Order: sequence, then structure tokens, then C-alpha cells
Amino acid sequence: MKKSVLIAAVSTLGLLLAACGPSNSSKSSDTSATKTKSLTVWADKDKSDGIKSAVKQFEKDNNVKVKIVEKAYADQLESLRLDGPAGSGPDIITIPSDQIGTATTEGLLKPLTVSKATQKQYTDSAMQSQIVKGKVYGLPRTIETTFLYYNKKLLSEKDLPKTTDEWLTYSKQQVAAGKYGLLALWDQVYYAGGILSSYGGYIFNKDAKGNYDTSDIGLNNAGAVKAATYIKSFYDAGVFPKGILGDQGINTLDSLFTEGKAAAVISGPWNIQPYKKAGIDYGVAVLPTLPNGKHMRSYIGVKSWNVSSYSKNGAMAEKLVKYLSNKQNLLTAFKKTQEVPAVKSLVNSTAVKNSIGAETVAKQSQYAELTPSISAMDQVWDPANNALQVINTGKQAPKTALDNAVKTIKSAIKANKK
Amino acid sequence: MHTNSQSRFWRLLLTYAVLIGITVVIIYPLAWTVGASFNPGNSLVSTSLIPKHPTFAHYVALTKTSATFYYFRWFANSIKISVATMILSVIFVSMTAYAFSRFKFVGRKNGLTVFLLLQMIPQFSALIAIFVLAQMMGMVNSHLLLILIYTGGQIPMSTYLMKGYFDSIPRDLDESARIDGAGNTRIFLKILMPLARPMLAVVAMNGFTGPLGDFAISSVILRNPKAYTLPIGLYNLITDKMGASYTTFAAGAILISVPVAIVFLMLQRNFVTGLTAGGTKG
Amino acid sequence: MAQRIEVKPQRRHARIAAALSIIPGLGQLYNRQWVKGIFYLLVAGLYLNGFANLFNMGFWGLITLGTEVPRDNSIFLLAEGLIAVLVLAIGILFYWLNLRDAYKTGEAIDNGEAVISFKASFHNVMDRDYPYLMVSPGVLLLVFTVIFPILFSFALAFTNYNLYHMAPANLADWVGLKTFAQIFTVDIWRSTFFSVLGWTVIWTLVASTLSIVLGIFFAVLVHQKDLKFKKFWRIILVLPWAVPGFVTILVFAGMFNDSFGAINTTILHALGIKAIPWLTEAKWTKVALLTIQGWLGFPYIFIVTTGVLQSIPEDLYEAALMDGATAMQKFRQITLPFIMMQMMPIIITQYTFNFNNFNIIYLFNSGGPAMPNSTAGGTDILVSWIYKLTLKSNQYALAAALTILLSVFVIAIALWQFRRSQAFKEG
Repeated sequence: MKKSVLIAAVSTLGLLLAACGPSNSSKSSDTSATKTKSLTVWADKDKSDGIKSAVKQFEKDNNVKVKIVEKAYADQLESLRLDGPAGSGPDIITIPSDQIGTATTEGLLKPLTVSKATQKQYTDSAMQSQIVKGKVYGLPRTIETTFLYYNKKLLSEKDLPKTTDEWLTYSKQQVAAGKYGLLALWDQVYYAGGILSSYGGYIFNKDAKGNYDTSDIGLNNAGAVKAATYIKSFYDAGVFPKGILGDQGINTLDSLFTEGKAAAVISGPWNIQPYKKAGIDYGVAVLPTLPNGKHMRSYIGVKSWNVSSYSKNGAMAEKLVKYLSNKQNLLTAFKKTQEVPAVKSLVNSTAVKNSIGAETVAKQSQYAELTPSISAMDQVWDPANNALQVINTGKQAPKTALDNAVKTIKSAIKANKK
Repeated sequence: MHTNSQSRFWRLLLTYAVLIGITVVIIYPLAWTVGASFNPGNSLVSTSLIPKHPTFAHYVALTKTSATFYYFRWFANSIKISVATMILSVIFVSMTAYAFSRFKFVGRKNGLTVFLLLQMIPQFSALIAIFVLAQMMGMVNSHLLLILIYTGGQIPMSTYLMKGYFDSIPRDLDESARIDGAGNTRIFLKILMPLARPMLAVVAMNGFTGPLGDFAISSVILRNPKAYTLPIGLYNLITDKMGASYTTFAAGAILISVPVAIVFLMLQRNFVTGLTAGGTKG
Repeated sequence: MAQRIEVKPQRRHARIAAALSIIPGLGQLYNRQWVKGIFYLLVAGLYLNGFANLFNMGFWGLITLGTEVPRDNSIFLLAEGLIAVLVLAIGILFYWLNLRDAYKTGEAIDNGEAVISFKASFHNVMDRDYPYLMVSPGVLLLVFTVIFPILFSFALAFTNYNLYHMAPANLADWVGLKTFAQIFTVDIWRSTFFSVLGWTVIWTLVASTLSIVLGIFFAVLVHQKDLKFKKFWRIILVLPWAVPGFVTILVFAGMFNDSFGAINTTILHALGIKAIPWLTEAKWTKVALLTIQGWLGFPYIFIVTTGVLQSIPEDLYEAALMDGATAMQKFRQITLPFIMMQMMPIIITQYTFNFNNFNIIYLFNSGGPAMPNSTAGGTDILVSWIYKLTLKSNQYALAAALTILLSVFVIAIALWQFRRSQAFKEG
């Protein structure tokens, strides 16, 4: 008895479930048109002042409401990934260019229609960083790169060492006196990569068409090994305290500089204001030259405005991105935040030249290159940083560590690509 | 007799020495945190146990909110979530444990085993699932969802402890109450619950401190700085790539630790009884 | 059973009622239970109406994981599918209860008993079904906040969900055991997995044992009859437990800083010992972690042991005194066995707790320092590695597969232990 009832019950349920699947495949599109339009912009932390006036004007001109939320630019993509599908995400974000590749792979960014003339306004490498497979995914806002800060109280401009070897000697003297000379985060590719590339190392090589070739990794070639060995000599000499190693090292480095315990640090334009606020009278300079006579290179970071593909007002958001990235508004933003605009005609303008930090960024940019903006970069950072850390702490020889890192990167890229 | 009192002397001397030693080991980090909170500057670099130029600046800094910093709001959020989790876990756990202790029903035996196993799989190893759940229900940034998740996480282990404690209360008490005409609910509320007070204290304490120690689940569900709890906020204060301040963290840590520790020490006696009786059934 | 059938062979009502109840409520109506029948009908209607779409989308999604971008989000479909399964399971449970109810009531009619009124059956619910009533809120909460997430991540392990198969641009697919195979065949993952597992086991054993030994040691120490200021010592010894754990761990992270932490600059410096690379040398980070966990973990054991000590019957010792046992003998032969026997469950939970002790590993040094030939840090345990894979490198499927391995491992050991210690007696 019971059994037959059960069979009947199950088969009834089965019938109910037979017709599965989404019946209406396109219903989600036009729901937003009727409501008063509003946009959310995620601005960089402490940098929203730069766009406030432009946003106000845009609100007036287009009859929209724009909400500005501050969020550290490096974390925005991770947040978008979580907030986007939830509908609580922004329409416009600002992210570093090395995340563009990942963002487009995941489809988090909306492609934009940008005329060739507009594209020409921006510095070439900055614009290039926004283009993936021929499509434009954003407009560059500012460029930044690392350079040297020095404490004028401890070191005058004329005494400033010009080469890394001179810095090493100077730092040794300082350490002997219980202080620090030059500090740098050379256990991280972002900072150490400049030395590697000056010696001929590279992350990914480019093929004939200018695309990155992820199978050609030059982090363990002869030049890179030589560079890593040179970097290690700084750690061996004891001029870098152990406390600036690892993820939290950057905070220690900043504190040592702002508390007057380190004479010089290698950092980026993001510290122009914080260091000033900390009451340090500092000067800035391009990075020193290396023993091989070449300038120490650095990576260019581009910060851009991008439209989230989850945006319900894509067209309006695109319009705002273009508006915020026009020459006039980037100049206004620069005046408020000191971030160097990525526009050709502005890089050499007097306004930028008059700001020492900005001028140095512009100068150092000659010796700088983009970090590859492809998603495979995601697999590079950790293994490469690990390698530098184990080299600098003497756990592994440079050659072995870098070989291992490259092996790890390659297998990670392979494993992910299926 | 002589040797006896002499050995007693040495034994006690050694005991006091060891206890004073461990006291120093226990107090030092705590005192050091207090010291750090009064030190000028932001980093560890110039921190010392007794600051040369003590300052209240970091406590003042806690009161200043910014777009990403809301110390007292986080404080309130944390207390709210902890108290709610505590109350809900006591209710859910005692109901479930009552059924498991006093009734026979389908799934009872397997249910207990499942509870035991569930508490071994860390809840947060399913972070993505929890986040997807939050998204599907439109409850990102929702404290209610977080409270429910914490409460759910408390159920397996606490129910097990609570059931053990209920088991130790003689059934005769139930029976005589039943003869007097008391129903199930009445027996539960009027007889078992008052007697189980020490174990309720344990369950309450776990419910309260659980959320205070979590930042993995909360940081996935709470996306808006205003909705943060203290663990997320304080962790960010140390790890922020820009503007981290160890000393402000120390000040913030002390403001939360002192009240929690005081309440804990005051209620200690209650849950010690519960733990020794309920957690130790061999 | 057989006897009853013999006496009452007539079961017409029961059968018809149960058959009618294929549509819930009809059987009850046939049994003349009007209120109940309508109630069942209503519930069934609401259930079907309310969840039809969920079932439709859910099962389709569960099987396909989506077919079209950007409309479908594999991960949402998977979640919906699992929820549909859970809702269906609950539905089937009620459906079965409905059939049983109709059958039982019908049987009662066949037996010539009076049909119970709605009011009476309400009483019945409060009485016979009372335990279900008490258990269901807790279990329901458990199902959606604990069991669902676990099922979900188990399911995830059989997909290829990662950075390259994420919404909105891409879909994930079912790939079977491929991810598990990768853990054991891709060199870097295999070596990382085994080194992490190895440290996890060592960590669990040493950290827990250290806490337990320290806790029992201090409890026995303070329990000495002729010791003064007992209350004071107890308060001091409980302090590490009273302060929120995440605070103390972060404080220790600062104190152990290689260059500026108090341990190196003040304590070791005063002792004339050279600075130790606590955070950059895995070996030392492990030492630091074990020390800190000992500090954090012993008060709990201390408290419980103190309680147990107070409950040791005096006559046990008196007997020993007669035999002229020394203090050490008394401890080894009476106190320790008594404590161990009484505290087995709590001691075991210490081990499972540390196995999953994410906070200390992650907050202290993020699982670091970096290690050669490894994608995890030098002190990462399984849970912290899983956390990093999930949130830092979007390797969701891999993280989920590891979660399964971890669960199997810990459950196997725990079951074996619990059975051995007989803590299961009752369950």
C-alpha cells in the first residue's frame, strides 16, 4: 500500500518538474528607464575632492544624481565582484591598469565607444593600458610611478647620492649610527621590477603584434638573476630592517620616514600629501642609476575611470566617465589632489611642472613601463613576490628562487586556462 | 617532621615563583597595549611600555569619523550583533536541546551525530556560499543575516553541551511536575531552564564572544564601512595599505577589551560551573 | 501487528483517504476533518504556487549551470538549485506526513473510533509532535545557515568555477573529479597540499597539547591547599581568555615584529640575545604561533580542570594517604586519570578547534612568511589556505575541493576518537 502511494506521489512530482528552464529569456533589460537616473561613483580614497565640482556640473547638465563613495582604488575590483551582482555596486569605478586584464576576462567592465581623436589626447602608454583586444574599457585619469623622497633635514639636495652604490654606502653609515639611509620595498615586484628590467629581466615578453606572450617569462633570465643578486646585497648589508619585509612592510616604511628615522624612501605620488601632512620637509628625485650605468626603471601605474558592466545606466555612466576624463576636469582634479593627469598636453604644462612631485613623476616616466594589463598578471604577483622575499631573507639562491617562481607562474597559468 | 615542613617551604616558594612568572607573561602584552595606545606616532617604531610623551591623541582620533572610519558605530554594531546572537542562540539551543534530552523522535540519534560532525567543519570555509545566499536574499550589509548565520553556527556545539546538561537533571523532577498537571512547555520553562542556568551562561557566553572573534564571515557580508563590526574595522586599521595606525588600533582595542573582560570576569563563576558539569561527561 | 490486522480486516477508509491525499487535504476532507483539510489544501497550494518558479529555475540551473551569458550566473543558479533541492526535501517530508495523517485517521474511522476534531489534533500536535515543534526552528536555521553553505561548497568542488569561469562574462561547468585530480597531479599543488597538511597536523597536536598541559599544570598548582591568594591567581590566569582573542593576536603580531616589536627590541635585547626573525623565518613564526596559542588556550583548560579538581572525592586521597603515597604518586595515580577521564570531550574539542583555528594563523602573519616552491605561506594551515584561495586568488573550485578533503580528514579522525573515548554512549 504505502509503496504504491509513494510511487504515485513521486511520479506526480516528477510531472510537475518536467518542464524546467527559464521560459522568458529577455526580461531583465528595460526596467530602469522610467526612474530618475542616479549614478554611483567609487572614487579613490581621499581623492574625491578632485571630482566634486565636475560632478556637480554634470548633475546640473544632465539632470542626474551622482553619489560619490570613497574606496581604495586597488580594492575596488574585488568589491565590484561582490557588490555588482548584488545590485549594490557602483556605475563607475577607478582601478589600477594592471587589473584591467582580469576585469575584462571576468566581464566586469563595459566597453566604451571612444573616438580616435579623444584617444590621442592621452599619453600613449596610459591609453594603451585601457585597450584589450581592440576594445576600449576605460579612460586614463592619472599616471603614477615610483620615485625617491628624501628628508631635507637629514640630507641636502647636493649631498644626494646619485647611484644605488652610493646609496648603499650612505645607508651603511646611517645604520652604523642607529638610523636608516634609503629604504625600499625590494621584496615586492612592483618596486624591485624596475631593477630587474634595467638588467634585462621582464615579466612577459611581447610578440610581433605587441601582445603579451604569457609563455615567455623573463623573470629568471640572466639579467633578472643578476639584478636579484644585486638587490640581495642591500639586505645582506643590513641596511633594510626586517620589519619592512612582507605585506605590512609599506606601513613600517612610511612610519620610519615620517618619524624622521629614514633619510630617504622609494615610494609613489600617493604619499605626496600624507608625508606633507606628517610634517616632513621632503624633496623628491628620480630614481638613482644602477651599477650598469642605466637608470633604475620603474612601473607606470595608470588609474582610470571605468564603467561597471552591472551598471543600469551604462550610457549615462559612459558619458560621465568621458566628462571626468576630459582635459579641463583632469586639470582641476590635479590641482586638488596632485595626481598627474594622463593627458599629453598637461604632462608638460606649467601647472604640472610647478609641482615638484608631479614633475618628478613625469621625468621618471621616461624610464618607466606599464605593468602588463592581462589577466595572467594575477598569477605573477604572489610567486614573484615570494621569490624576492626568499632571496632577500637568504632562504634560497636567486637563480633557484626565480626559476621556481617562473615554474609556479607557468603552471598556475596553465592550470587556470584548463 | 622537620624535613616535611622544609619541603613544604620549597614547594610553596617554587609555586609562588612560577605564578609570579606567569603573571608577568600574562600582564606584559596587555600592559604593552595600554602603553602603545598612549604613545605618540602611528607605528610600532617608537612604541614603548611607558611612553615618554604620553598622549590621548589616539583616543581622540577614535571619535573622528571619516568616509571609512566609524569606530563607535562599529562598536555599537558589534555589541548589537553579539547581544542578538547571544539571545537567539540561548532560545534556539535550549529548545533543541530540550527535545533531544527528553523526547524520543525520528532522527534523534542521527541528529546528534550530525551536530557533532557539523561543528567540526568551519562555517567560514563556505564563504562564497554565504555571500551568494546574502546576495540572493538581498541581504548584503544586513546585520540580521549575520546574526542568523552566527546563531546557526552556534547551534551544533552548544546544543550538544546543553543536552548533556539537561541529561544530568533528574527526570523525577519532570515526572512530579507532570503529575501536578504541568505541560511540556511549562516543565521546560519552569523547571529545566532555571536549573540549567550555569549551562545557559556558557551558551550565552559563546554566543556573545563568537561574533566578536569573527572577521572572515562578517567582512564578506558587510560591504559598507558603516555596517562593519569592530573586528573588521580594527583589522583594517592595522593592515590598510595607506594610513594604518597601530597606536590608534591599540586605543580602539583597549576600549572594547576592558568592558568585555570585566563582564567576563564578573560572570565567570556562572559558566565555570556549567563547563565543568556539562562539558565533562565522560 | 498481525494480531491487529486479524481483528480489524476492514481498511477501506484508510486506503481511500490516503489515495485522495495525493492532493493534500482531500483525504482529510474525506475523513470529515474540514478545518484540517482546507488547511492542508491551502498549504499545498501556497507551496506549489510559491515555489514553482524556484523549482523550475532551480533544477534547470543545477543541471546546466546556465547556458547564456550574461543572462545566467552559474553560481546563482547552483545556489538556487540547491535551495530548490532543500525546499523539495522539506516538501516531500510534509507530503509524507499528510499521507500518513490521512491514512491513520482513515484507519481510526475503520476501527470505529471517533474522528478527532481540529482542536483535539491541535492538542495532539502539542503533545505527540512536541519534540518536532521544538527542534524545527533550530534545525531550519541550521539547514539554511550551516548545511546549505556546506552543501554548496561541496557542489562547487565538482565545477571549474574560478577567475576564468566567472560571471558576468563566462559560465562555470560541471567537471567531475578534475579539481581533485589536479590537487594530486599538478606538482606545485600537490607539494603545497602535503606541506600544508603536515604543518596543520603538527600545529593541531602541539598547540592543543601545550594548552592542555599548561592548563592542567596551573590548575593543580593553584589547587594546593596551603596556597594563598587563590582568587587573585585565578583571575590573573583567566585574563587571556577574557580579552577578545582577535585583539590579543593583533597585539602579538606587533610585539613580534622583527625590527620594532617589543620582544626583539626590549626583552631579548635586555637578555643580550640577538633579534630573532619572528615574522620572516617560517621556523620562528611557528614557534611564535605555538607560544601565543598556548598563552591564549590554557585558561579554558585551567578553568575546567579547576572545577574537576574540586569534585574529586576526598576519600580517594585518604586511601592513598594510608598507603603512604608521595605527592607525585598521588597526582599520577589519582588526579591525572580522574581529570583525563572527566575532560575527554573538552580535550578533543581543543584539537578540533585548533585544526580549524583560522584567526591566529591569519591575523598573526597572514600565514606567512613566503616559502619557496609553495603557493601557500610557511605557516598556512588548511583553513587559512582555503580562505586565501577563495578571497585572494579566486580559485573557488580548488578551495572547495580542499574543503571537502579537510572535512573528510577531520570527521574521520573525530569519529574514531569519539568512538574510542565512548563519548558517544548516549548518542
